[in-house]
Amino acid sequence: MKISLLLPSILLCCAPLYAAGEPAPSEMEKLGASIEKDPKFPPVVSYTLKNGLRLLILEKHFVPTVSFTMMFKVGNVDNEQGKTGLAHLFEHMAFKGTKNINSTGYGKEKIALDKVEIAAKAVIAGETSDNPDPKKLEALRKEMAAAELEADKLIVKDEYWKIYNELGESGMNAMTSTDYTGYVVSLPSNRLEAWMTIESDRFKNAVLREFYKERSVVMEERRMGESDPNRLMWETLFQNAFTAHPYHNPTIGWMDDLKRLTRTDAEKFFNKFYAPNNATLAVVGDIKPGEVIKLAEKHFASWPKKEIPERVYTKEPPQKAEKKINVFFKAKPMLRIGFHNPGFNNPDIYGLIMVSEVLSNGKTSRFYRNLVEGKELALYANSYHSTPGNRYPSLFVISAAPKAPHTLEELETGINEELEKLKKEPPTQWELDKIINNYEADMIKQLESNSGLGMSLAHNQEILGDWKYDWTTGAELRKIKPEDVSRMAARYLTRDNKTMVFLVEPEKTEGK
Amino acid sequence: MNGKKLLAIGVNLMTLAFAAPLFAVPPALSKLAAVDFKPPKGERFVLGNGMIIYMLKDNTLPVIHMSAIIRTGRINDPKAKIGLGDITASLLKDGGSARYKPEDIDKTLEFLGASVESSMAAEEARADMTVLKKDLDAVLDIYADILINPAFDAQKFKLRKDEALELISRRNDDPAREAQREALRAFYGATHPYGWRTETTTINAINGEDLKAYHANYYKPNNIILAVSGDFASGEEMLARLKEKLGAWPKGEVKFPIIAPVEIKESRQVYFIDRDIAQTSIVILQKGVKRHDPVEYPLSVTNEMLGGGLSSRLASEIRSRKGLAYSVYSYFAKKPDYGFINASCGTKPETYSQALSEMLNQFELIKKETAPEEEVKRAKDSMINSFVFRFATPFDLISERALYEYYGYKPDYLDTYVDNLAKVNPAAVIETSKKLFKPRDAQIFIIGNSKKFDKPLSEFGPVTVLKED
Repeated sequence: MKISLLLPSILLCCAPLYAAGEPAPSEMEKLGASIEKDPKFPPVVSYTLKNGLRLLILEKHFVPTVSFTMMFKVGNVDNEQGKTGLAHLFEHMAFKGTKNINSTGYGKEKIALDKVEIAAKAVIAGETSDNPDPKKLEALRKEMAAAELEADKLIVKDEYWKIYNELGESGMNAMTSTDYTGYVVSLPSNRLEAWMTIESDRFKNAVLREFYKERSVVMEERRMGESDPNRLMWETLFQNAFTAHPYHNPTIGWMDDLKRLTRTDAEKFFNKFYAPNNATLAVVGDIKPGEVIKLAEKHFASWPKKEIPERVYTKEPPQKAEKKINVFFKAKPMLRIGFHNPGFNNPDIYGLIMVSEVLSNGKTSRFYRNLVEGKELALYANSYHSTPGNRYPSLFVISAAPKAPHTLEELETGINEELEKLKKEPPTQWELDKIINNYEADMIKQLESNSGLGMSLAHNQEILGDWKYDWTTGAELRKIKPEDVSRMAARYLTRDNKTMVFLVEPEKTEGK
Repeated sequence: MNGKKLLAIGVNLMTLAFAAPLFAVPPALSKLAAVDFKPPKGERFVLGNGMIIYMLKDNTLPVIHMSAIIRTGRINDPKAKIGLGDITASLLKDGGSARYKPEDIDKTLEFLGASVESSMAAEEARADMTVLKKDLDAVLDIYADILINPAFDAQKFKLRKDEALELISRRNDDPAREAQREALRAFYGATHPYGWRTETTTINAINGEDLKAYHANYYKPNNIILAVSGDFASGEEMLARLKEKLGAWPKGEVKFPIIAPVEIKESRQVYFIDRDIAQTSIVILQKGVKRHDPVEYPLSVTNEMLGGGLSSRLASEIRSRKGLAYSVYSYFAKKPDYGFINASCGTKPETYSQALSEMLNQFELIKKETAPEEEVKRAKDSMINSFVFRFATPFDLISERALYEYYGYKPDYLDTYVDNLAKVNPAAVIETSKKLFKPRDAQIFIIGNSKKFDKPLSEFGPVTVLKED
């Protein structure tokens, strides 16, 4: 069969990518590291510091660059009740420096920052009271502004960013999801120790200065989302599909929560979750693994391990209703549909991946052939097996927009017909082989980008428990038979498991 | 001020140590070397029919990439048929070819996990291919046939036209994107190719013959530069394959339309769309530079300082210090005629005037006061030390080389780029700023909820209220 022939050839061909600089196994063993020897996988070097920080290192050459991904298992789900958005706001704060960076002297600065905090808490209490007193509030805000002004005098503005600018960073960023927070940057490879020096300081000694300014920045980020119908639609889908599990909450946070978040909250959050034993660091590029390990030991070993609290959140109860929500927004109609999936620990997920791919992978997919072309109901129609996260059961989602003169209702009917057909008639072997071939090709192309590969290694290790996850998934997908796909569609894509969000133009609600 | 010292001394770990006394810095690493990477040249060939080919072998993965740049662009559309180039490009593959039906193309490519995609940008058309080495023959045959002999299947053409019309009806769904598009339209004028957009009438005016004529004019081998990289045995071997597939394509004359000179208003105008949304979009446009003006080096450095990243002046003042925006930046676009300088920001309506005033103020400031040496140096270091990321993969590198020839740069443009940036000093920055930045005459475009504005728009100049359409 095509698939079994394809796989070994890919793996053999991969070999030259690493051969040039492949680390000597004996050197790795002496350091206490292990190197992946199975040719099915890239020769990733794994090493864990005594404090629990796990390193995944892959040597790759072309240009003298290296990509870093520091991935923490902490996301929006880990916020306390009433503090949605805190994981993301902290991520912004992690660019504000440390006791050493962005500061003219932390001793003095701490006193000034504590004064800001007292003033800020008074303002928040005033703003959120049942009967805010405008005059008193104005006075409190002035006090806070004065305290901020004093603290700001002790800052070296944007020093953290400036250091990276000079180092020649590319793609410096961070991302927060429901599940994780990741910090990424690529540098010329002779900056390896500079990165170790700065980032170990960043996660050991973070100082959350300019907190309330950055909170305002995040509020603007939220407003940007509120102005974009696509973001509004996703937020509404998760909010309504999840009633008890924290996937209900938007990662950006509810505006009301943002208004009450304090620096004290963010520091508590940092102390609780930012620990070496809650993180994976991927280093991919033109480096020597032995060098990476030695420098990581030197700079990160003193980062103390922490007791990470047990994270038990309300499981989403089985949905027993078909939900439909109309969102009124000035934009053309579109829809989102979510069905609860069983989560990544359940083997049914592989069948659901195939369901999604059969429906919407490419122009030969069913949605494209029958809804975009064929009946011409849709401008676009896509699906994905797992959103918004992977740590907990999430949603199999469909997103689509009708093409005029067709309506949302007609499009919904068209989508339902496709789902029902898939439940009753198994897909052809050709459809499944195509998906496997695409998956294999994507796995090879994934190796081209250092930063993309680093992100995937770190995410899969820290969040899914195995950096090889993408490769092992390929093997699982190959086991799926056409009738499994129909069985999974029938099991999960049911009316009582379904939440629909329709975007409707406001005029229509007024009967115009 | 540690920060100042740090910046004055430059990039090395000693200065990090200075800024942060807690760091123990190993003497061996006290100085960071410059980034030592001379981008490989690759090979350049010209086929008998005039097609230029850039090639770089890369045997690390069993993948082959190609990208053809076809000399045309949205700016070449006929005025009455805006969208013609776009539809032609997108139908190269989707509309089938002489030897391949559309369905067969999709089936073959998707089964092999390969991709062939064609597209149209303002000043270039593209046809890209990615394929696993083992499938090269099959996919290259399709790629060549859609380039040379596209069939523009009538049903696919109708579908694409309907999609284009649907997209027009949806073009204002996202106000931030709307603001960028409409700002350029107001800046260059709705009838100039740099500013225009597709309309229902221009899409409806396009017929099947137009596609064929458009293709026959622009898609000629002597009007194409092809970049190739990936896992092949040798340049000769790949060249032989390309000759076999593309060598018999006859060359021919290409007719280009004459594009009228741009006319940019010389005094301040405020354009406004009133819309009840959570965030106000602000776009400030000023007259920019023509493509090969050497002022691009000091302007690049100046822009990096002004709005190039999160430590730039705009981000520092408007985002980090004042908390007024999540998104605030500036950039400049080079064009054959005058390009533009864009500064943009999203903020709540209650603070729009604060953000806008500060943006304008930053343009004034950089004209008025000579920038500190260390700030200029930092901006240069940032660009020079990250230059290597333009070539993250061999395909990125060879595509860049092809692109610079396409846009008429000297052959050593990439190789001298760093040296040219390095020459920029504070005097060049202020001179460039004085010459190019005229914030008092800038064209300002705003979409937002005027009921919540903190100041009337008229404080920023004569206001033209536009209706969203």
